[in-house]
Amino acid sequence: MAYEFTKEDLKQIEEIKSRYPEVMPATLPVLWIAQNRFGHVNPEVQKLVAHTLGLPQAHVHGVAEFYTQYYKEEKGKYVLDVCTCLSCQLCGGYDILHYLEDKLGIKKGETTQDGMFTLNEVECLGACGYAPMLQVTNDQYVNHLTKEKVDKLVETLKKGETPGYEKIGMPQHENI
Amino acid sequence: MPEVIIDGKSYNYEGKHKLLQFIQDLGKEVPFFCYHPSMSIPANCRQCMVKVGQYVIDRESGNHELDDKGDKVVRWFPKLQTACNIDVADGMVVHTQETDELVRRAQKDNLELILINHPLDCPICDQAGECPLQIQTYKYGPEGSRFEVKKVHKPKRIQLGPRVVLDAERCINCTRCTRFTEEISKTNQLTITRRGDKNYPITAPGTEFDDLYSLNTVDICPVGALTSTDFRFKARVWEMNQTPGIDITNGKGCNIDLWTRDNLVLRITPRYNKDVNDHWMPDSGREAYKLFNENRISRPLQKLDGEQILSSWNNAIATFNEQIDGTDSKNTLVIGSPHASVEENYSLAKFSNLLGIKQPVFVPHIVEGSGDGFLISDDQAPNTNGCRLLGFTELDVKSIKNAVKKASLIILLSDHLLDRGVLSEKDLDGKFLVVLATNHSHTTKLADLVIPVTTAAEHAASYVNVDSRIQRTFRAKETKYTNRRLDLEMSEGRLDRYGTNFDNWVTEENKIDCLPVWRFITQAASARGLDMVLTEGRQIMEEIASSLEPFKGVNYQLMDEHAGILLKTETELKESVKQ
Repeated sequence: MAYEFTKEDLKQIEEIKSRYPEVMPATLPVLWIAQNRFGHVNPEVQKLVAHTLGLPQAHVHGVAEFYTQYYKEEKGKYVLDVCTCLSCQLCGGYDILHYLEDKLGIKKGETTQDGMFTLNEVECLGACGYAPMLQVTNDQYVNHLTKEKVDKLVETLKKGETPGYEKIGMPQHENI
Repeated sequence: MPEVIIDGKSYNYEGKHKLLQFIQDLGKEVPFFCYHPSMSIPANCRQCMVKVGQYVIDRESGNHELDDKGDKVVRWFPKLQTACNIDVADGMVVHTQETDELVRRAQKDNLELILINHPLDCPICDQAGECPLQIQTYKYGPEGSRFEVKKVHKPKRIQLGPRVVLDAERCINCTRCTRFTEEISKTNQLTITRRGDKNYPITAPGTEFDDLYSLNTVDICPVGALTSTDFRFKARVWEMNQTPGIDITNGKGCNIDLWTRDNLVLRITPRYNKDVNDHWMPDSGREAYKLFNENRISRPLQKLDGEQILSSWNNAIATFNEQIDGTDSKNTLVIGSPHASVEENYSLAKFSNLLGIKQPVFVPHIVEGSGDGFLISDDQAPNTNGCRLLGFTELDVKSIKNAVKKASLIILLSDHLLDRGVLSEKDLDGKFLVVLATNHSHTTKLADLVIPVTTAAEHAASYVNVDSRIQRTFRAKETKYTNRRLDLEMSEGRLDRYGTNFDNWVTEENKIDCLPVWRFITQAASARGLDMVLTEGRQIMEEIASSLEPFKGVNYQLMDEHAGILLKTETELKESVKQ
């Protein structure tokens, strides 16, 4: 498959380039555009980005490899990053992870056959107060996970809807 | 003049300096890995930590504040600083590991961190013996490690390109190699992949590290992560001799070191010369070691009944002289060579002069468009300008063919004219061809008399590069007629010093039966009763300097002191004569 940016993408890229005195800083935002367009930035996409920006391929590769948020291979439509770091682990993060594994019929790091879900085990996402939690495709956090909440989430995502951002008040503000 | 106080001693300085370079220039030491004087300073290895501060001056009196003991009070930076990227400033007080326990501790702990995931490969690692990490761990490192967990393993033996192999585990991520491709060779082929303890340098997927200067990354790698595909596992560095020389595969004349063991050149590395090649050299120049070892002509060859047979030196000299006597000097053509040194060409020219033969001619070996404007020039020969300055007639392909047609005896010095397509077999039909050469080639196969001569690795002789800079080589390899122990200019490695003829690491086979051109010429001349004695390069250069205007004032000592001397080019000389 040959990857190509659309006209709108290219216009956006020009706009991003104009923000910086040099081209190099545009690498990060343009990689985002690419990932939003193709769902991943595999070596072919990296090549496209390098070519579009006129940067060395090695440089784009190095930047893409540095950040885990850029997917270097094709992933499912939704990437579920389940946190199993200390707080989540204590509050049942592994239970959630294993429940999802059983529910989706895959192991962590794998993608479902229909290409809907990729399941990852990740380190702390900085939401220890709302443990256990997971993140959907570098975006929404789903907090205070229970098995029911996970079921609901999977249903919502299967329908093609995103869960939306949750608003959680701080304990000291709960009565306000 | 501004002053800086390093380890309690005061030094004056002028201009701008980085502290690490300044300390090094003083002949002192601070350990480091990522810093390289010719590249940008990322300060990412954190090894060159020093303590930096400034004397406290009492505002009212303007005097130094003193402590209870009467010592000057220093206001230190709150944290240790990396010496590589801090500018030397007036009144700066510096404590290095020599005087400060905190600095010693910082450097030791940093090494412990660097070594956490560094494999204990030293016994099988090519870098061992010339490894900054090994040396500095020995000098400044911890005695053991507190990390008893399993080391992180990374890929080994990645063939990055045709000439470079990566062992990712050994990498300490100093980024010297990636900076080299970004800043020096400008191919941008390398990057650091992943992060944390998993990172290592790599090319973009689907590309290979085929940079024309790729092997320089092997030289600057402070560990054994990048190694040369060719030299890998061939020799331990402490077994070899290191002898300075000049790259003879290219007109640029990069300064090099020849690494020899048992009279075989095993590798070639660049030698620093700020006016020529800085710290670098092209990969193509490193291949030249094969020229010194392989396919060499040993003992003279003479054609008998259409077949070349080994001959003795006496026989060869007699044949050489017979041919000269039997040919009208008008019909004798002497072809000098841009591939041979100034001294060799001069010896031949002097000899032919005495015999009344015309001044030698030469054919430059220039391939237009093969240069890159950096260290690879269009000129494929190391001494084209040397031939010009000696006053040799420069001929193009057409005119050399004509000159050959008219001649019946051709004396050709170290230039494979057939192999590089200047002459064809037909041109040489019915001529008596004498070739003085180092290696077998198509050209030498056709010769009626082949005189084996020394290579740049076996004689001390000088070459004038494309920028008219004259530089000289040293004897690195013994021939059958030289002896490392008697020749004070030759370097003597451990194996040479302690070896005997009965050791299995000393062999006679690697010594070639060849003579320097001037020796052969001297012998031929003395057989003719000519008064001409050329003993060695040093003496010949003195003779050249006293008789030829372009070489005035040139001698070996000056060349050694200044890493080569810039000569006036032909055109500059002509202009100065006009004025």
